[in-house]
Amino acid sequence: MGALGASSFLSACASSASGPTTSNGSGAVTIQSNLSSPQAKAAMEKLIETFNAQGKGTASLNTIASETFRTQLPTYLTSANPPDLYTWYAGSVANDYASKNLLLDVSDVWKSLGDYPQSLRTLSTDASGKQIFVPMNNYWWGFFYRKSNFAKWGVQEPKTWTDFLALCETLKSKGIPPIGIGLGDTPWVASAWFDYLNIRINGAPFHRELLAGQQRFDDARVKAVFTRWREALPYFDPKGKAYPFQEATTALLAGKTGMFLIGTFFADAAPKDALGDLDFFRFPIIDPAVPLAEEAPTDGFFASAKTANPTGTRALLSYLSGVEAQEAYVKASSGIVLPANPRAKASDSPLVVKGKAMLNEAKELTQFFNRDSSDALQPTADTALTKFIDKPDQIDAILREWQAGAEKVFKG
Amino acid sequence: MTATISTTSVIPTRRRRRSARLSPLLVAFVLVPFTVESIWVFWPALQGFWFSLTRWDGMSPPTFVGTDNYVELAGDATFRGALVNTVIWLVLFGGLSVLGGFGMALVLQKERRWVGFYRAALFTPVVFSLVVTALVWRVFYQPDGIADTLLRAVGLEHLIRPWLADPQTALYAVILPALWRQIGYVMVLFLAGLKAIDPALHEAARMDGANAWQRLRHVTIPQLKGVNAVVLSVIVIDSLRSFDIVWSLTKGGPYHSSELLSTYMYSTAFQSLRLGYASAIAVVIFVLALAVILGYLVRAFREEA
Repeated sequence: MGALGASSFLSACASSASGPTTSNGSGAVTIQSNLSSPQAKAAMEKLIETFNAQGKGTASLNTIASETFRTQLPTYLTSANPPDLYTWYAGSVANDYASKNLLLDVSDVWKSLGDYPQSLRTLSTDASGKQIFVPMNNYWWGFFYRKSNFAKWGVQEPKTWTDFLALCETLKSKGIPPIGIGLGDTPWVASAWFDYLNIRINGAPFHRELLAGQQRFDDARVKAVFTRWREALPYFDPKGKAYPFQEATTALLAGKTGMFLIGTFFADAAPKDALGDLDFFRFPIIDPAVPLAEEAPTDGFFASAKTANPTGTRALLSYLSGVEAQEAYVKASSGIVLPANPRAKASDSPLVVKGKAMLNEAKELTQFFNRDSSDALQPTADTALTKFIDKPDQIDAILREWQAGAEKVFKG
Repeated sequence: MTATISTTSVIPTRRRRRSARLSPLLVAFVLVPFTVESIWVFWPALQGFWFSLTRWDGMSPPTFVGTDNYVELAGDATFRGALVNTVIWLVLFGGLSVLGGFGMALVLQKERRWVGFYRAALFTPVVFSLVVTALVWRVFYQPDGIADTLLRAVGLEHLIRPWLADPQTALYAVILPALWRQIGYVMVLFLAGLKAIDPALHEAARMDGANAWQRLRHVTIPQLKGVNAVVLSVIVIDSLRSFDIVWSLTKGGPYHSSELLSTYMYSTAFQSLRLGYASAIAVVIFVLALAVILGYLVRAFREEA
């Protein structure tokens, strides 16, 4: 019965290729949104309301829990009568769907986005040269800390890896676990360490090739990443293995850890009064010869190639990429995000100004492990990285297993 | 005498003839559920077998690869680990829930004061959704949580570890909440069985001078044969389909140390998007469940014959 139920569950997916009907012809444009946190959801609702009031078309919003959204997305896209528009990530995730001809060509929308930076245009372009993605905003990763705590401990932001290790040593001698992390339930947070060490040591191009399966995880260059990481391992908060990043955030804010490598979304879980006390520094430079790259995951929209209403969908996309909509979204959502439209004003908090400057300084932007590879490759990284943190001695075996796991994913 | 016999035998034959015509209502009652089952259960199950012979990412059409998936399963260390964990789960979760449930049923079978309260208390965890259960237990296991505080209070702080994040303890830390729930369920099944035993049997045994242990061994347990089959099927099925509690507590981690076949199947299907390979795992789970239950049924029938 267990297996019976399970296999029927699996094939329910297959048979639903002719399944859910969410769009209704050339009427309203349906948006499937994974922005389910209260503020983001409210922000989206407001945007759609404004769009409908403008009379250029009608749209209806479906907000779906993000884990359900993630697992159902392939089903939505392959169904015979799919929803029109989806919130999702730029980069290889979108390109994968584009290579299967599932995404709508939105080059028309991009014609009016001439002033968008080239980096975002490249990111939104698929292998055949057409645009398939419209970015809404991006955010950054960095080592976040409380200014008041750093002042209390008498320490400063480090610039280089040596400075960083010295800072860790100082904090440890004061009895503070220097590096916070949250791997229980959110093991993917460890991938930020891998991504950053790899782009600092081997550079962004190698990182992308590795994640696309053109390089091997058991390569000596990958091992070098872990040799560096091992230098910092003694400074990790041992409790970080057991709790999720939300609790690691609480620990950081309570001064129970010194700093935390995390994306700006963590601030959603932070109380308002703590926000003003937060600051961050960029992941320390290891090899000055490697062109500076930063992680800047880009969120936005793509549309189904099978949409019954391509005109309405493109109209909605044009509206969403406009200055007005982007500013409204940034204002309404609590998150620290940078609007994709260069003319849209980001929040003028010092934190956001600093984040924007850091990204502008970078020669290359990466997306994040799963976005530069695929959600399918992410679990192989989770396994390898949590195991490394527990058993750094077994690194050779871990990398061999990682390579074997990755090959299975690439093979399909 | 002969006349009466013939009249009584005439009536049943007439009745039989009438039922042989099959009332349309009866046909409908059989056919409608059967059609629904066929569409939603039998056909997808058969499809599952077919998918296990293919390579499929859920988007492109599946490609036939023969027994490749099964060959890969044979050499897959994660699969082997998950299989071992599933067996551990079956033995510990199944065994302890039978022992615990049976013990509780024995203790709580007599009508005493407060007994209803205790029964209800033990059954309460069954009412909670497993995901809610998982949330409660996560708080219990979290660093500096209730488990750690308790250990510190009794001077055992050297035992403290990240219960769900330590590969040595993760599996057992997940079995515990599953047991907490299952014992109440099994208890209710056994209570029903115990209630159905004719008190005269115990009375007679007592008259013959049997002590409590002998009555348990030679009266109660043999009388529970029917319930045992139900309990066994329930725990085997529940063990093999245990998924939600593991997924919500550890997702099979850290690094596959609490992976069960069910969680491995799910992550293979919906994270790695290897639906063909995941179907092969589903087929293995199906065969395992069938083997255990058929094995028991065959034995039970042989004993009866």
